[in-house]
Amino acid sequence: MTTATAEPELARMARRRAMVPYLLLLPGIAWLIFFFMVPILRLIGVSLQSGIYPNYEFTWEWGNYAQLWTTYRGQVWNSLRFAFTATVICLVLAYPLAYFIAFRGGKWKNFLVVMLLMPFLMPFLLRTLSWKIILADEGLVVSTLKGLGLLGPNATLLATSAAVIAGIAYNFLPFMTLPIYVSLEKLDRSLIEAAADLYATPAEAFRKVTLPLSMPGVVAGTLLTFIPAVGDYVNVLLLGSPNEFMIGNVIQSRFLNVLDYPVAAALSFTLMIAIVVLLVPYVRATGTDELVA
Amino acid sequence: MTAENGIPAVELDRVTKQFADFTAVHELTLSIGENTFFAMLGPSGCGKTTTLRMIGGFEDPTSGTIRLHGEDVTGLKPYRRAVNTVFQSYALFPHMTVEENVAFGLRRQKVDDAEIKQRVGETLELVQLSARRGAKPKQLSGGQQQRVALARALINHPRVLLLDEPLGALDLKLRKEMQIELKRIQQEVGITFIHVTHDQEEAMTMADTIAVMNQGRIERLGSPSQIYEDPRTPFVAGFLGASNLMNGTVSGNEVGLPNGSVIRLTDIQAARCNGHATVQIGVRPEKLSFFGNGDANVPVNRLTGVIADTSFQGVSTQYLVEVPGIGQVAVVEQNLGEIHAPGEEVLMAWKPEHTFVVE
Repeated sequence: MTTATAEPELARMARRRAMVPYLLLLPGIAWLIFFFMVPILRLIGVSLQSGIYPNYEFTWEWGNYAQLWTTYRGQVWNSLRFAFTATVICLVLAYPLAYFIAFRGGKWKNFLVVMLLMPFLMPFLLRTLSWKIILADEGLVVSTLKGLGLLGPNATLLATSAAVIAGIAYNFLPFMTLPIYVSLEKLDRSLIEAAADLYATPAEAFRKVTLPLSMPGVVAGTLLTFIPAVGDYVNVLLLGSPNEFMIGNVIQSRFLNVLDYPVAAALSFTLMIAIVVLLVPYVRATGTDELVA
Repeated sequence: MTAENGIPAVELDRVTKQFADFTAVHELTLSIGENTFFAMLGPSGCGKTTTLRMIGGFEDPTSGTIRLHGEDVTGLKPYRRAVNTVFQSYALFPHMTVEENVAFGLRRQKVDDAEIKQRVGETLELVQLSARRGAKPKQLSGGQQQRVALARALINHPRVLLLDEPLGALDLKLRKEMQIELKRIQQEVGITFIHVTHDQEEAMTMADTIAVMNQGRIERLGSPSQIYEDPRTPFVAGFLGASNLMNGTVSGNEVGLPNGSVIRLTDIQAARCNGHATVQIGVRPEKLSFFGNGDANVPVNRLTGVIADTSFQGVSTQYLVEVPGIGQVAVVEQNLGEIHAPGEEVLMAWKPEHTFVVE
């Protein structure tokens, strides 16, 4: 008698408990659907429209995609070139910096990390604008370099690809440094001692132990730098000239200035796919999943 | 203790290690012979790990000299010393397989591939891990990781192997097995093992020689039985096994206790009381036995008291006996006869050679 009523009760409770993970997932999935899936599908839809503003119609206009290659090859090339160079510069600067903070920071460690994040207290645009002042033709840097003979009398720094790359590298440096710092910080110091105990010189210990174990940080850092850098347009607007335009500038002007939504949408979608296609083999090759202890 | 050539494997000469606010090791002088299983035993903070790290080259002594086989290695980096270490948490390289971990030291020494392959095979055989050569450390059990750490150090044929609490992370049963295993391996490879531990039983099981350390100094050095039977200091008497310590006044070969009992000492122990009016003596709980009033051959050192507590422990029973004027005395008796109940008045006695004097 009692079991007859108790069993369905238990079963109902078990069923309800089994639902809990899905209920917890719901907000996240809803968020992804409304703010990621729907806009992406809408973007794809717009990218296949044709016509003249404001009368665009869906016509399977694949020609919008062709423009990436026919019209905007130069800007695509700039995007990849600038983002790649800036990422390499960030890596070269960030690794030693992160290494220093993690291994030699001592009691200053947290202070140094805060210092690293300090620029974030100032808005992105203001930070980049201040570089415009620093690198200006009449500014201190240019006149000093000219005085030292390192720059020709008519040379400028502003409106060059060097300035754009420097701006991108400057703005994304913390995104590279932090993940590398975290991976070095959590590295078990006794592993380095073990390497030394097993006849590894400091250089060998770094190459065989520290570096491979910090690869997850390096991969995360390069992704966090390269992906936003490819799509960046602010650094070019403030520090470059139309010669340095990146694909982000094209998309921005197509959307906001020319109001050519279909081409802008096609370019955006292609950029997204291109990044995924470029990065999947990179993440695979570095095999980071194997390293997560 | 020393090999034929008489040069010890490890020598410390007045080695001191000073950290910012305390002295971890104080003027330590020590000589460890070839092919010895040497244990450094002590509570945490006694300086045993610091001493080991100085021998390994991970810390530089503030002053003093460290010699390995007669060669001064003070200040030499770890990778220039023919010494290998089994780390407390094993410190296995997580991104390498068992095989790669074990081969690491030989690769750094540019040993050729064929020899590496052969020696890795032999060493994995020695620690019985040949079947898991392709596994990553995180796929292994604690005991297996411990063996990999051991193999990774031993493959280099170090002249001295340092073990920093190597069994600390294992459960009791595995720890017992590994104690026997480690001792077997030491005898098989015939190199000096220096083993740091806070576990007195582990040290006694494995070591030929034990150094009991306290506050940066060696309190007592000797074989496990020497140290156990004659601990010499109250610290060693308490740290290594249990002891009943009693204060008394010296008169010749005898010590008078506050309750009027007179305890007889051996000549050797009595000689150590020379020049002292009062002295602290001790006796191990298992050296005491209960006797009835009519028994013959009752040893000369006797105390009477009332049992305060009885705890049955399987192979033996531990009693706490309240002795007026002295306090509680612990007695451990094998479970051969009757078990005495609390409240019973008992006569306990032990032989003179089982009394030791502490300073």
